[in-house]
Amino acid sequence: MAEGWPKKRRLLGTKIRRIDGPDKSTGRAKYSYDINRPGMLHGAILRCPHAHAKITRLDTSAAKKVPGFQALAMVLPPKDWLVVKADEARKTLELKSVPSKKKTDKAEQRTVTVGPGVTILRGNKPVTLADLKADDLVQVEVEQDAVGRELFYAGDEILAVAADTEEHAQDALRAIQIEYQVLEHVVDPAEVLAKPGLHTTPLPNLSPGKEFTKGDPAAGFKAAEAVVEATYGVGVISHQCLETHGLVAEWDAEGGLTVWASTQATVATAAALAGRFGVPPGKVKCITHYMGGGFGSKFGPDVQGVLAADLARRTGQAVKIMLDRHEEVIAAGNRPSAYGKVKIGGKKDGTITAYAIDCYGTPGYTGGNTVNLNFLPYVYQDAIENFTRLHTVAFTNAGAARAMRAPGHPQNCILTEFAIDDLAAKLGIDPVIIRRKNLPPNNPKANKIDWAGRRNDIYNEQIDIALKLSGWKDKWHPPGQGKAGVIKHGIGMALHTWGGNAAGGTTPNECFVVIAKDGSVIAESSTQDLGTAQRTVTAIVVAEVLGLQPTDIIVKIGESTFGFSTGSGGSTTCPTQAPAALLAAQQARNDLFKKVAAKLGADPKNFAIDVGKVVDTKTQREWSWKEFCAKLGMDEAKGKGEWNLAISNEPGNENISSGQVGGVQTAEVLVDTETGLIRLQHIVAVQDCGLVVNKLACESQVAGGVIMGINYALFEENILDKTTGRQVNPDMEFYKLGGLKDMPKITVHMQDMPERGVIGIGEPPTISTAAAIGNAVFNALGVRVPILPLTPKRVLDALAKGGQ
Amino acid sequence: MNNSPGDRHDGVSRRGFLTGTGAVAAAAAGLQAELKQATAQPRVDDTNPMGPAPVLLQLTVNGRSLTTHVEPRVTLLDALRNYLDVTGCKRVCDRATCGACTVMVNGRTVYACTMLALEARGCDIRTAEALVRGGKLDPVPTAFVDCDAQQCGFCTPGFVVSLRAALDRNPRATPEELEAAVSGNICRCGTYEQMRHAIVQLCQKGG
Ligand code: FES
Ligand code: FES
Repeated sequence: MAEGWPKKRRLLGTKIRRIDGPDKSTGRAKYSYDINRPGMLHGAILRCPHAHAKITRLDTSAAKKVPGFQALAMVLPPKDWLVVKADEARKTLELKSVPSKKKTDKAEQRTVTVGPGVTILRGNKPVTLADLKADDLVQVEVEQDAVGRELFYAGDEILAVAADTEEHAQDALRAIQIEYQVLEHVVDPAEVLAKPGLHTTPLPNLSPGKEFTKGDPAAGFKAAEAVVEATYGVGVISHQCLETHGLVAEWDAEGGLTVWASTQATVATAAALAGRFGVPPGKVKCITHYMGGGFGSKFGPDVQGVLAADLARRTGQAVKIMLDRHEEVIAAGNRPSAYGKVKIGGKKDGTITAYAIDCYGTPGYTGGNTVNLNFLPYVYQDAIENFTRLHTVAFTNAGAARAMRAPGHPQNCILTEFAIDDLAAKLGIDPVIIRRKNLPPNNPKANKIDWAGRRNDIYNEQIDIALKLSGWKDKWHPPGQGKAGVIKHGIGMALHTWGGNAAGGTTPNECFVVIAKDGSVIAESSTQDLGTAQRTVTAIVVAEVLGLQPTDIIVKIGESTFGFSTGSGGSTTCPTQAPAALLAAQQARNDLFKKVAAKLGADPKNFAIDVGKVVDTKTQREWSWKEFCAKLGMDEAKGKGEWNLAISNEPGNENISSGQVGGVQTAEVLVDTETGLIRLQHIVAVQDCGLVVNKLACESQVAGGVIMGINYALFEENILDKTTGRQVNPDMEFYKLGGLKDMPKITVHMQDMPERGVIGIGEPPTISTAAAIGNAVFNALGVRVPILPLTPKRVLDALAKGGQ
Repeated sequence: MNNSPGDRHDGVSRRGFLTGTGAVAAAAAGLQAELKQATAQPRVDDTNPMGPAPVLLQLTVNGRSLTTHVEPRVTLLDALRNYLDVTGCKRVCDRATCGACTVMVNGRTVYACTMLALEARGCDIRTAEALVRGGKLDPVPTAFVDCDAQQCGFCTPGFVVSLRAALDRNPRATPEELEAAVSGNICRCGTYEQMRHAIVQLCQKGG
């Protein structure tokens, strides 16, 4: 059984500045985008301008004459071929495909005439025909292979070029001659539903879901005192990471690859590149010391990363490809839309008697699993006795979705919480009554410390806190019945839930702590800091155990070679890495005690750590930390910590890390009924969070989640033109993100529960904000604005319709 | 000079700058005059044009004189980042919307993605990197660190430069004025609440 968190906490749970804050705020921190290697080339990607097309002609000869041009790489991965015969005189190469294990693969033979446009690679190095002999294993790329390739959205990658400068790389792209056969496309998911036979995406556009029913919805609706039927929805949004996706790739003389990648997963990115280029995983190193936002969209090298590494091996130079803003928005992931026809029935005491939803959403041309609407009705489904849901995926010719901060949850929250407020209005009751009445019950069999054993109590307490902090009692009024005037005031609420456990998987995350004889301490892990202050989390935990200050700890993270770690997704990083650091520090401390005790002839059990010193509790002798460590002599003290979900579930470990959280948010708004403009006044975010490691960073995570929710509610949407199939706002000008002056006062309340151990909270606070804002607007107007974002036009349209 | 986002480029609004060629010419003319005063450069006119081949560029960046060659089409931002390895200013939108590339040119905030490098010849350029000297952190980044007004930090140098310039112009600026000073900057991680705390600290303790 692990020793666990210290009983007396000196640093944990207090407000501690980020240790890398000064470097970040003065621009000295080097992000992947900032890496300039000696002789580095710049890559740029050719993308399809059509929403659906086939390449009919490709001529890159002019591009190769552009000053500064260095190399070209196609997106389609090269195959492995065995050389049967290399005829230098005739410039031909007879090849046989390498048989794979798949039975469906047929052996292929081909003859290639070697000349411009043909690249031969052996062991990741370009070779000439003269170098080849029979039985050589090579990769051969013939440029014209791209002809006939089908492209599925405006932005689909075709090839990349590398040149000495960014300007020249762009010139080379412009010089490429390419022609397309334009094919039928569809970008509107409603159109997919209307035309069931469509097939403009890799899979048929329509992917019908399976209906799921609990109880007897028909009977539930019959028993209801009021029933509401409505349609709600929210559009597709982009991650809009400020640091775009991309990396710098550089091969060394020994065939090793180093990449500086903007990624949420150093280890997985290195592994993916190793697999793609057929090199041992140990020879690929991924470095991510700082990264400028990912939000779920950066888990691997992606097409651009593979292209950069490919161009680097062809040229023997480092190559940088970072997407530009346009590419970032169209090609680097998005959050799928969700639209649903909802029917809800209930009673005056707040009971929801039945809920039914038929919904759909689009993930773009692929990535159907990212449209996760399969936990409707949200939060309340354990209490609602009768419900039915049907969810359809509509593939469209747009960039593919990726996980985005709490994937699926914000949409599920909107489709549930909007219906609750509409039902409350019809019943003539405060919607808080419905929320309280349908909270998931405590599980009497579960441990009282755990979420399952106390979730009802946690939510009720959170609602109490939110009501108080928002002034709900004085501010709530029946929908549309606030003070008279052009500007209407409203207040709304929504609830959310999330996991936040330690990372799953069989291999635990690792952290290493080394104490040197000069008293310096290094904590090392391959995990990455996305902006969550993970570097500081590690420093705090190690410093707490060793009686030091966080700034005393040298934290080395963000290199795939520093042991194993999982990607930063699902809010798992802190609940995995904080325990790993705890265990590593405790083991290093024990090792220190043992080694010094042997030198002093003391009993290691008598040593204890105090702030900045070590005490022998028996002799009362004490040493400063440095004095004590100096006694290591030529030695050093070491510790290794390992953590994952399986370890956290071992008996005795449950209060080191755990999972499942709830949260309640309220929004207060003013709506101008003449212009349709919404002005946010105040957001309250009550968040359950287990043991807080750093209150300062934890609060800013929650406020940041709320702000992302505000953008989702009011401003953001990928707008695609139906005729051309292109996005009309792939930028930051017409794709709106709020600035400081758009933001209301945000009150964050952390519901500290140290007995539950560390829980990740990066995702949950962004879930319910948009639903709460939508409900506040409904409370202000007495009319539902059903589709997000709540643009002035949509507000005015709803008012016009509601007034009829 | 008003420091609202629309008014960064020599009194020319962003929209005006992008759409009105007359306005661009006016702005460019103003800068040309400034450049002439700042440093003697080879004469450039119809018979003696610059480019398209790379031309000599000398910039004073954070007090250091740096020299490189760039094509005339290269922006100040790209010259700093790609040619001079000054990477505190970030490229995010590259279209004068987000403020991540904000630098000071002769004390005025400029979106470096929207100014040609050659327009800045001989000018005194300051980036976020200048806000730490001999290990001493300037009050603006200090406030950002104290209040945790940064998460991923990619937007932060831009915000910090905008605020530094606003406080240089008016050390007694009010919180409202400082909020206006960063209204041309965007943060995706959502650090605005903490930034408000940082702004209050700057107004109370002085910046
Ligand atoms: S990069 Fe210059 S304003 Fe965005
Ligand atoms: S801190 Fe990440 S964008 Fe502002």
